[in-house]
Amino acid sequence: MPHAILTVEDVSKTYDGFRAISDLNFYLFEGELRTVIGPNGAGKSTFFDLISGRAKPDTGKIEFGSDPASTIDLTARNEYQINRLGIGRKFQTPSVYTEHTVWDNLVLSLKGPRGVFASLFHRLSSADRDRLDELLKLVRLDSKRDWNAGLLAHGEKQWLEIGMLLAQQPKLLLVDEPAAGMTDEETHRTGELLLSLAGKHSIVVIEHDMTFVRQIAQNGKVTVLHQGTVLCEGKFDDVQANPKVREVYLGRGKVR
Amino acid sequence: MALLSGFAHASELARGTIVRAVLADSPAQQRDLIVSLAGQGDPAIPTLLEAWRKDSLFLYDAPDGTRVPIQLVHAKDSADAQEALRVADGLPLLDASGLPLRLVGADLTPVEHTSALRRAMKSVVDLLDLASPDTEKRIRAIQTLGFAQEPDKLPLLEKRLATETDPSVHTVLREAIALIGLKAPTAGAKLAALAELRELHTLASSDLVKLALKDAEAAQDSALIDAAHSAVIAIETHRSTVNFLGTLFRGASLGSILLVVALGLSITFGLMGVINMAHGEMIAVGAYTTYVVQNLFGEGLSLSPFGVSFTLPGLHATGWGYQSYFAVALPMSFLAAALVGIALERTVIQFLYRRPLESLLATWGVSLVLQQLFRLVFGANNVQVSSPAFLSGHWTINEILLGWNRVFVIGFAGLIVLGVWLVLTRTSLGLLIRAVMQNRGMASCMGVRTQRVNMLTFGLGSGLAGLAGAFLSQIGNVGPSLGQNYIVDCFMTVVVGGVGNIGGTVLSAFGIGMTDQALQQILLNPVLGKILVLVAIILFLQWRPAGLFATRSRSLD
Amino acid sequence: MSRVAAFFSARRNPRSISRGELFAVGILAVLVVLILPFANQQGWISNFSINLWGKYLCYALLAISVDLLWGYTGLLSLGQALFFSLGGYMIGMHLMRRIGDLGQYHKPIPDFLVFLGWTDLPAFWRPFDSFPFALAVMLVLPALLAWIFGYLAFRSRIKGVYFSILTQALTYGAALMFFRNDLLMGGNNGFTDFKFILGFDVRDATTQRGLFVVTALTLLVVYLACRWLNGTKFGLVQQAVRDGENRALFSGYATAHFKLFVFIVSAIIASIGGALYVPQVGIINPSEMTPEKSLEAVVWVAVGGRGTLLGPVIGAVAVNALKSWATRAIPDLWILLMGGLFIVVVLFLPGGIVSVPAKCRAWFAARRRQSTDAEASAPAVAVAKTES
Repeated sequence: MPHAILTVEDVSKTYDGFRAISDLNFYLFEGELRTVIGPNGAGKSTFFDLISGRAKPDTGKIEFGSDPASTIDLTARNEYQINRLGIGRKFQTPSVYTEHTVWDNLVLSLKGPRGVFASLFHRLSSADRDRLDELLKLVRLDSKRDWNAGLLAHGEKQWLEIGMLLAQQPKLLLVDEPAAGMTDEETHRTGELLLSLAGKHSIVVIEHDMTFVRQIAQNGKVTVLHQGTVLCEGKFDDVQANPKVREVYLGRGKVR
Repeated sequence: MALLSGFAHASELARGTIVRAVLADSPAQQRDLIVSLAGQGDPAIPTLLEAWRKDSLFLYDAPDGTRVPIQLVHAKDSADAQEALRVADGLPLLDASGLPLRLVGADLTPVEHTSALRRAMKSVVDLLDLASPDTEKRIRAIQTLGFAQEPDKLPLLEKRLATETDPSVHTVLREAIALIGLKAPTAGAKLAALAELRELHTLASSDLVKLALKDAEAAQDSALIDAAHSAVIAIETHRSTVNFLGTLFRGASLGSILLVVALGLSITFGLMGVINMAHGEMIAVGAYTTYVVQNLFGEGLSLSPFGVSFTLPGLHATGWGYQSYFAVALPMSFLAAALVGIALERTVIQFLYRRPLESLLATWGVSLVLQQLFRLVFGANNVQVSSPAFLSGHWTINEILLGWNRVFVIGFAGLIVLGVWLVLTRTSLGLLIRAVMQNRGMASCMGVRTQRVNMLTFGLGSGLAGLAGAFLSQIGNVGPSLGQNYIVDCFMTVVVGGVGNIGGTVLSAFGIGMTDQALQQILLNPVLGKILVLVAIILFLQWRPAGLFATRSRSLD
Repeated sequence: MSRVAAFFSARRNPRSISRGELFAVGILAVLVVLILPFANQQGWISNFSINLWGKYLCYALLAISVDLLWGYTGLLSLGQALFFSLGGYMIGMHLMRRIGDLGQYHKPIPDFLVFLGWTDLPAFWRPFDSFPFALAVMLVLPALLAWIFGYLAFRSRIKGVYFSILTQALTYGAALMFFRNDLLMGGNNGFTDFKFILGFDVRDATTQRGLFVVTALTLLVVYLACRWLNGTKFGLVQQAVRDGENRALFSGYATAHFKLFVFIVSAIIASIGGALYVPQVGIINPSEMTPEKSLEAVVWVAVGGRGTLLGPVIGAVAVNALKSWATRAIPDLWILLMGGLFIVVVLFLPGGIVSVPAKCRAWFAARRRQSTDAEASAPAVAVAKTES
């Protein structure tokens, strides 16, 4: 069995007495596409915060890297250091630079040196331009490359943010509710994109839309979070049939 | 009755002695007679001796050939003549027909006095106060005697000590006796005096005890040196305690003012995300309101803004009627500042919600305008607001001066914090304020009239600054840039305390106020102290970037 | 509605100098660097005016430093007057040494030191005999202060209003310090009565004209350098920090480093402005470093138009020209005018003076479109295109 690329063990996090995450264990393997579901307040976003450095766990370890000899302790690093390791995150509410053009948004996200002085003398190579053009087509914003990102519709912003994520060429993608605000057709296309990325990248997706979850979880595993800890894990159909999951969801809303 | 007759007897005795002194042949004799007056409580003594020194005692050659000492009193009439009183009994001098005589000073011989005689008179007068019924006067007389360190006064003081009942005077007496004891001829007496002074460790005795230490060192008397040394240490320890507590007290009063101002700032910032640079001017509005109210109770007030002169008539109240102006000024200053605040909110700030940097700039413009208006209306110079009598005294507890105005400020600040806390937690306005603070959009959707809540909250915050202005007018002068002196400190208080948090604001206001005063005390340099406070705050924010009590949020920005 | 939104957000980041802007800047540069001094030499423009304009250009440098932080990076620093004054003080120290023994006490040390009872020069004053040293310290000291303060502030992620309040406190504290005599920097009165700079008589009209040209050239260089900076990827990151710092952080940018760099650069620009200001105005004292002075500089930027480079220059010149006139014509009312202007600009003209032409154009375009009854579907794009 290979070593996990992301290891989360016995992690707890408390906010002002509220236990957002408690004794969470989570293992993600290279190339895997994992979907995380759970009712509101299950700690899904906090889970991403802990991995991406936005919050520090009170206890437990979070490690990154599939080579057991050289795993990296994420709890000791801050946001930009974690990003530079190759962990990209898409936020729940689309966060793009509203005053920058679509093109500049992608330029800023392009994989490359991130230092102050490097950015002073940075020039786009023709390979970079080709790559950005390719991405623009992929997220279907090629006709709006000179628009200010603030002018885009909600769904377009989601796509732009996905494009920005891809421009970073991360090893691990943390995707928080990518389908929110999209039409059914767009949602489906997002699912296909994620599926096509799996294998080359490791991906964790948080999602509420169960149709979408069924689509992307066809080959992979689903993790159900409840009250900050893993309730169960497995194939989508198994999870859906799990009485504990049904109880949790029926208490708060029903599975579609 | 017996007492009265005894008193009358004493009085006659004193007057008789003075008559004899006036008529005595030699200055030495005169001096002895006057010194013999020492310690007598007759009020005629200081009057007559004073008259003697000021050349208004004269000798009148009576028709019967006797020389009568008289005192000329009251105003001169057209003929320069004055009423004449006999020194012997204080009754008017009568002519043969029984009518009061009026005499001209220039025609008579004034009673002479040498410098030795004048000294003797002064020491007698000083000693008189020893028996004065007024405690303050008694204490002053005793202290004067003690500091003079004249051993011949010792018996008098000891006599007084035996009869004195007031504890504070008693202590002062012991101190004076011990101080005189420092000049005693025997080492034993000196040691006893030093031991006494060490036990009393009064600040007043500090200089003389240090002098005694120096003398002892010069004399190389090790026992005396030790005793003096321990007395000095006891006094210095006491001094640092007094200073420390005094600093705490001043820090607490400064902190109270910061607190009241910062509380308003913190609420408005927390509620609307608006930094109000004109908040300092709300202090000035309150202070000037106090000034106006005071003048309306008194003589009235003439103002000439923009070249238009007008006079507000005054009530010409006196006594308690006048003193009570402050009770009116407090609510008025709150109201005035609150109204200005509401006007500001309606005209400028309501357009700048959640744009803190822009609001900072626009309100700075408002601050400039208000300051200039103060200058135009009240003049560029500071105006003075006199404290009502019940705020201008002080308590002395163990030699620590507690000004009533500062005590009042601390107490009132406590009430205000309690009041604000009650408003925020127990009233429906408070509920609305907290709701809008947490989620403006949601509150608005739920039917909260956020505009109204903003307006009222802004009025409340500004009114609090106005109250602080009323307090400040009791402690210092009022000028157009009054607010500027406090606004930086207030911003610091809000930043350190955490925005919109009452508990944090209280802690940080007192922390900053006391640190400020303590550093001034330690460094003997107010500016360096202020700078160090700023540095400390910047370092503090390294540890707690969002202030003492941060409100956590899950949104990205 | 979308038309309005488009109008407000269509301000594209000018990544490179457009021909129009190049033209305008070129004409202004020629006018200021060549024609004004020439007119002064010919006596068409008084020495007083040229001196006044030199002062305005120094203020323009200060305004650019404010804008680099506020307009481009979203950091409203109220401490820029401190860096401006520090630059002035450093050059002032050198100028004080150049007075030699021509002071009122005719002693080889500055008058205020004689007044304080000094007979020898304090050690830290000695190296300021050298002009290159003073120049170097003028550049290094503000940078160092900005580095230390910025490091502490950005490390603990102090931003927004908190940053403003802290920088305000910083300059407040520094002003208190400089007001003291025992800092040996002239106390209340600061430095004045300068005589020579680099061997020239500082009060001479030719020297003043030379200083004016140097100031104008410096401003041009700083302008072009900032323009270049905006065109680089650094400029993109800078504005990304302004609009979405957390996003930039999660994209791998150490935003604190970027902010620190901008803070240091703008401290140096402000300091250069102050260094040029002092020999032209002939005095520097602690009242120049109070928070109010910083706020004034922010006013210039707001009035001119923040987030542009021409805006601060226009704002600094316009507001100060207005101030020069108003303090003489209506001394009692000018503060009211100034405060009022400020409120009005913030409330009604957030884009400042430079946004006026675009606003007028958009307004006319909208009117034309209404009257020609164009299709309702395209306007947002159309406006976006015309604006860019």
